[in-house]
Amino acid sequence: MPLLINQQLIENDPWQLLTDDEQALPSDGAVILPLARFEQARADGSILQLAPLVSGDDDINALLEQADALALVAIEIPAFTDGRGFSFARILRRAGFKGQIRAIGDVTRDRLAFLTRCGFDAFQIADDRYSDDILSALAEISVNYQGSADEPRPIYNR
Amino acid sequence: MYQYTEVDQKLVDERVEQYRDQTRRFLAGELPDEEFRALRLMNGLYIQRQAPMLRVAIPYGLMSSRQLRQLAHIARTYDKGYGHFTTRTNIQYNWPTLESVPDILAELAKVQMHAIQTSGNCIRNTTTDPYAGVNANEIEDPRPYCEIIRQWSTLHPEFAYLPRKFKIAVTGGPEDRAASQVHDIGLHIVKNDAGEVGFEVLVGGGLGRTPVIGKVVNPFLAKEDLLSYLDAILRVYNLNGRRDNKYKARIKILVNALGVDKFRELVDTEWAYTRDELRLPAGEIERAKGHFTPFDYQADAVNNDLQDKLATDADFRTWYEANTVAHKVPGYSVAVVSLKPYLQPAGDITDIQMDAVAELADQFSGGEIRSTHDQNLVLADVKEGDLYALWQALAAQNLARPNVGKLTDMIVCPGFDYCSLANARTLNIADQINEKFEQVDYLHDIGDISLNMSGCINACGHHHVGNIGILGVDKKGEDWYQLTLGGSSGADASLGKVLGKAVAADDVANTLDKLLTKYIEVREGEESFLETVRRTGLDPFKEAVYAPAH
Ligand code: HEM
Ligand code: SF4
Repeated sequence: MPLLINQQLIENDPWQLLTDDEQALPSDGAVILPLARFEQARADGSILQLAPLVSGDDDINALLEQADALALVAIEIPAFTDGRGFSFARILRRAGFKGQIRAIGDVTRDRLAFLTRCGFDAFQIADDRYSDDILSALAEISVNYQGSADEPRPIYNR
Repeated sequence: MYQYTEVDQKLVDERVEQYRDQTRRFLAGELPDEEFRALRLMNGLYIQRQAPMLRVAIPYGLMSSRQLRQLAHIARTYDKGYGHFTTRTNIQYNWPTLESVPDILAELAKVQMHAIQTSGNCIRNTTTDPYAGVNANEIEDPRPYCEIIRQWSTLHPEFAYLPRKFKIAVTGGPEDRAASQVHDIGLHIVKNDAGEVGFEVLVGGGLGRTPVIGKVVNPFLAKEDLLSYLDAILRVYNLNGRRDNKYKARIKILVNALGVDKFRELVDTEWAYTRDELRLPAGEIERAKGHFTPFDYQADAVNNDLQDKLATDADFRTWYEANTVAHKVPGYSVAVVSLKPYLQPAGDITDIQMDAVAELADQFSGGEIRSTHDQNLVLADVKEGDLYALWQALAAQNLARPNVGKLTDMIVCPGFDYCSLANARTLNIADQINEKFEQVDYLHDIGDISLNMSGCINACGHHHVGNIGILGVDKKGEDWYQLTLGGSSGADASLGKVLGKAVAADDVANTLDKLLTKYIEVREGEESFLETVRRTGLDPFKEAVYAPAH
């Protein structure tokens, strides 16, 4: 599955996504785990590098206190119509989170610009929905009335 | 009125090209139906029973004559020569082809118009009082704030995939001609005890399956905090609104589930984060206000022959009494152009009529036209001395039926003839009512009354808030109509109560006749229909309609 990070196609991503709770944790490396399992693994003192996968029903605020210690937060977009992820990213960035925010799930071209503006910088895209010109979506609209991740001020305060 | 800056123009131009490419990819099979659906809706395009339907935004119901001429041109070139004004002051075209929509959007962009967010689960066109800026009871003109909200909400990256659509209405004073209390957010310009002007904020109003009157979430919001507070409400809704059931997804359901106090707490917590960042500088408010300066009114407009004309022409007088409204400046008048002619669908207007109204706006009303929640048009700044000529010109276009605010000034949704969700027809019932009441001699005696009709429970015709509401229902394949009494969308907003069992299609006008006859019988003094129903309750009316004939 193609992975875009900071608008670059990345071949060797160290992160392994484990969504199946039955599947055993690897002995080393970097793993993305659903929030509940992520918290459990941390509490267990796992030596793995861990990142949470947040889904719509999770409380993003619970993550904010430990955000400094995280390199990556993955946000699940269960359906492209589910807009909660946009607010999650925005809340994370607002809290000063500097790590990677990765969109996973129903992630397709016509949402990339808004996702980016809300603070996502990594996108995992299904093979059949990926094309080499996909990033042209980011250039379609150059005018932003609102603030965004890279320019928090709305147009009238710039 | 507001004039686009280069930045505003660039946005709509780029948006057209973006949508052109989306349409191309859809037609080439590169974009799944479901994704294209969301994108086309956010550009105003529905697919309906007959054909696609394109809804064009008329921000807060204000357009220039040039824009109206362009709307006429679009009706002529891409549609069957007419358009339809909606209760949210937009215009809809019922017959464009899907392939032509990018070109239509390009035509709109040429005159600073667009169809952005006129549908879809996003923040829709903000609506307001059609008499904004010209009515004496106003505290402040609401339109600069509407424009500020328009810009903030346009292509908002965070709020494009909300649980459900989101509608905001703003009023400038104590009167409410925008149905603000049945909007997701209603903003009322108010003055606090210290004499400062700000907003009372209502949240969670709406119609549809679960009609609710909005609740006060903030009694006084400073102007500079307008956007940060809206932003906080939207974020709370985006994160907590239900997404499992589209009938329970509007913010009204969330507010009811949490209770308004808990909801307020969530908003306040969120608001603390963005209050500084989104604070509106005084200069920005002034910039917006600078686009809505009063016309250059002429003091000598008071010297005119209006009284003579009224005394000598009874037809003109009838029109004047029904279709004009007092203007705050002496010598001027607000004229309503009735889009409810005899036996025509409510809100429909032909390209020729649009051109004519544009011409009259240039001639008599500073080149501006407003569209109203009641699906009429308004020329807001007409000299009294010009009213007679205006009336004659409107009458020549079948736009001067003297029925504004009267029984036949109905709000009617398209119903089964055009809408795939309908349970029953509505246009035939509207005709039936027109036929019945065109002749009755007591019509002028009924006075102001609102009659709203919807063809199904989605309530596009706002039947819950009509003084009389009519809802089409399907009973074993037949159209029946349920009546409600006592609704209002004004400052005293209320939901109508069900009269009793539904009536058959051919019995609707007769039933209204019984209701109105009863009203005239039991009213006290100058009481309006609504006041009478509120005083007597439904019983006398139930008896009039359902009691077996003696
Ligand atoms: C012809 C096709 C139409 C369809 C399929 C349609 C569909 C719908 C649906 C499903 C809703 C309910 C949404 C909800 O409550 O979440 C709705 C609401 C609404 N519609 Fe329509 N509609 C149509 C035409 C119109 C027209 C012509 C008007 C204007 C006259 C209109 C004005 C409205 C308004 C104002 C609401 C909001 C009611 C509320 O606050 O809940 N619709 N429509
Ligand atoms: S109320 Fe029902 S029938 Fe009427 S337009 Fe809306 S969805 Fe269609």
